[in-house]
Amino acid sequence: MNFPFVIPSEVKRSRGIPLRRRGATPRDPSTLLGMTANRTLAILLCFVFGIAASAFAQTDAEFAKANQEFAQGHFKEAIVGYQALVHQGQWNANLFYDLGNAYFRTRDFGRAILNYERALALDNHHPEATANLQIARDEARALELRPTKLERYLQFASINQYSIAAAIALWLGIFGIVMTIFARRRSAALMSLSILCLLVCGMAIWAIHTLDNGSAGGGLAIVTGNDVQARLATADTANSILALPAGSEIKILSTRGDWMYAVLPNDLRGWIQTKNAEQVRL
Amino acid sequence: MFQRISIGILIAAVCVDFARADPPSVTAVLSNSEATVGETVELQIKVVGPGDARPPEEISIDGLEIHSTGTSRQFEIHNFSTSSSVTYNYMILPLSAGRFTIPPQTVNAGGKVLRTPELVLNVADAPGQQTTRPGRNAQGTQSQSTKAGDLVFAELIVPKKTAYVGEIVPVQIRMGFDARVHPRLTEPPDITGQGFTSQKLQQSSQNLETINGRPFEVVTFKTAIAAARAGKFEIGPVQAKAQVVVPRRRNAPRGRSPFDLFDLDDPFSDPFFSNPFAQFGERRDIQISSDPVALEVKPLPPNAPPSFSGAIGSFTMVTDAKPKSVQVGDPITVTTAISGRGNFDRVNAPLLEDDRGWHKYPPSSKFKQDDEVGISGTKTFETVVSPNENKQSLPVFAFSYFDPAKEQYVALHTEQTPITVQGGTTAPAVAAQQPASSPATAPRGRAPVSNSTKPQDILYQLTEPSRTMASFEPFYARRGFLLAQSLPLAALLVFAGWKIRRARLDDREARRIGALQHEAAALMHKLRRGDVSPQEYYAEASRVVRLKAALASRNRSVDPNVVDAESAAETFKLDTDSRDRLRRLFEQNDEWQYSGAHNGPGSISPENRRDVLELIENLK
Repeated sequence: MNFPFVIPSEVKRSRGIPLRRRGATPRDPSTLLGMTANRTLAILLCFVFGIAASAFAQTDAEFAKANQEFAQGHFKEAIVGYQALVHQGQWNANLFYDLGNAYFRTRDFGRAILNYERALALDNHHPEATANLQIARDEARALELRPTKLERYLQFASINQYSIAAAIALWLGIFGIVMTIFARRRSAALMSLSILCLLVCGMAIWAIHTLDNGSAGGGLAIVTGNDVQARLATADTANSILALPAGSEIKILSTRGDWMYAVLPNDLRGWIQTKNAEQVRL
Repeated sequence: MFQRISIGILIAAVCVDFARADPPSVTAVLSNSEATVGETVELQIKVVGPGDARPPEEISIDGLEIHSTGTSRQFEIHNFSTSSSVTYNYMILPLSAGRFTIPPQTVNAGGKVLRTPELVLNVADAPGQQTTRPGRNAQGTQSQSTKAGDLVFAELIVPKKTAYVGEIVPVQIRMGFDARVHPRLTEPPDITGQGFTSQKLQQSSQNLETINGRPFEVVTFKTAIAAARAGKFEIGPVQAKAQVVVPRRRNAPRGRSPFDLFDLDDPFSDPFFSNPFAQFGERRDIQISSDPVALEVKPLPPNAPPSFSGAIGSFTMVTDAKPKSVQVGDPITVTTAISGRGNFDRVNAPLLEDDRGWHKYPPSSKFKQDDEVGISGTKTFETVVSPNENKQSLPVFAFSYFDPAKEQYVALHTEQTPITVQGGTTAPAVAAQQPASSPATAPRGRAPVSNSTKPQDILYQLTEPSRTMASFEPFYARRGFLLAQSLPLAALLVFAGWKIRRARLDDREARRIGALQHEAAALMHKLRRGDVSPQEYYAEASRVVRLKAALASRNRSVDPNVVDAESAAETFKLDTDSRDRLRRLFEQNDEWQYSGAHNGPGSISPENRRDVLELIENLK
């Protein structure tokens, strides 16, 4: 008769095998300093968490210091503090929102609008950034790109939401088709559902493409310079197409040297010096 | 022969004719006996007869400049009578008004002394003449050019004698060059003077004109001037430099003409000019200048309208706007085209008469000129405005200019263009909880909303940073998102593999069952034939029972070889009688298989065969 390979503790006890005392585990020579693997893992985890906590604490301290500078009216120092965090890659909507506020106080409306836009790019539903962005635009009299009707309809969801929907629909569709293939009896309902899922996936991908190439897509940039002129050609002496107040939106189409070719708020296209505009997405 | 004689007679007749030619004679004519000061008149002295005539070398009359311009010869055969003549051409330039008498001139021809008739030239004054006239005190290269008005001349044509400050006055400069001097302009004309600005000079035309009987290449330049202040100005003179070709100096100087302007031989008496193939001259720099022109500049009248930006001239305005249906805050591009004639550099974008409820952005402009100097054309402005509130029509744009013809300001207004504006107010009407001067921080919360629009201030700082790191990269481009797709992919692969394995297993079982069924059918067919030995019959009958038992076991995959009588009876759930019969069948089979012979007869009776077949067919 075969016995189970692993002997339960009850069996061990019944067979007279003495139970190990707690904490009296024999040292495994294969582990460091004879410690158990679990303990090593625990120490490593503690170490990692410690480093992470320390980093978070440091970031918090820098953020708090920048906030303090802002509260004391030292806006330029606050900008330096916030910018340092941005350069460290500590990107979050609140950081860009606060940085936008600091620029607003220094009346650099172009960069204020740029950072509000960045906050909204990270968090589409950031009410403070939305409100301050409108105020900054009014102050700067900045021009906005006009989204098409299609874009306006598609903007009920973000690109990330469309991405998730596309992925889910894709896999549901594929699974449905595979199940239909292997099923002994083909189900019309399953087949229809699979095709519907694939259609949803296709529409989601199309929506992503439309939004990503639209007025608020990856090419969106904000004019940060003052008295910027969009020109017909890549020369300062070329004819001006449109005067762009600071904070105006443009959509970059291509870049050539120090100039970028962009879609302008009046649906025209023109050349702008790259130093006069910054892309919203970092 | 006859031809030779004829030619000889003809030649002889000609020689005789020469021998008895008319005696030499001389005539002198003026191309015009009436002239004005500065207007040239041509004098021709024609000597008919021998070709060795010696014309007067110098004709000197006070108040007239006379110099030779060349010699022409004519030879005529008329009705076997031949004649030859030499014409000596002179150009007379009156320097002052009056009645001038050209006395008889002595010409030696054929050994005779001939005298021309006396000629009278009446010269009148030439008022308002702007063409540069020669001066007696001219010297150096300048004298070459300006002296004669014969080689070169410059004219400054200003159509107005009065203008307003800033008014564009078109100006024309005409520069004429004697066609024979092969001129080349080295310095373009420049209008000297102060108190006005001039636009870039544009060459308008170049053509050949006959002036005073002589061909001139006339180059016309156009520009425009605008006075910077009121007062009386002198426009010009126009100055330019050119190179012309003049005859080379002779080694043996001829008798110098008093009109020799170049301190050389008189250029017009030089055969250089009369020989069209003579290109070997000397290139000289000359300076050309015109007379100045007086211009009186008046100041603009007071009480200019608010929208007046300095535009002077005559203009019209056309406006268009797109789109005409917008949301509050959306931009509307207003295109205003101002066309006409005037100082377009002072034409600015039209102003909004009432900008309440509107945001106006800096306009852009472009100018399309209709002429060479840019004083007429169309200047187009694109102004972006956005409504802050519901509006029924576009704002009225105003543009004013001063019309020098009417001598008054003219104000142009756009019409009320109806538009549709949807939505409420543009500004989110977010009021600050704290004043701008004390930007204290506050914990994150919802934005307070107020109906007041002024003063607008931004919301408070957010002191709590988000713990989660964010990325501008969309999900679909992130590595994590792509890696996450490996999970459903793996699940799909596992599922598909499992399904494929199941299908293969099912397929193998089906093939096995098929084989068993096929074997059972073949054996049954054989049993029904009855031509087999008892040994084979029982073996095949028991084999059919085993096969049927294996097939009846369905999913258990029973091997037919391991089926015995008991398990077969159990499989088919047979009653006792049938069990016994089945058992007997297996025993008889064993007997035939293992003993080699049967205890009974060597063949199977039909009853036994029927009984076995019935038993087997009832196994279901």
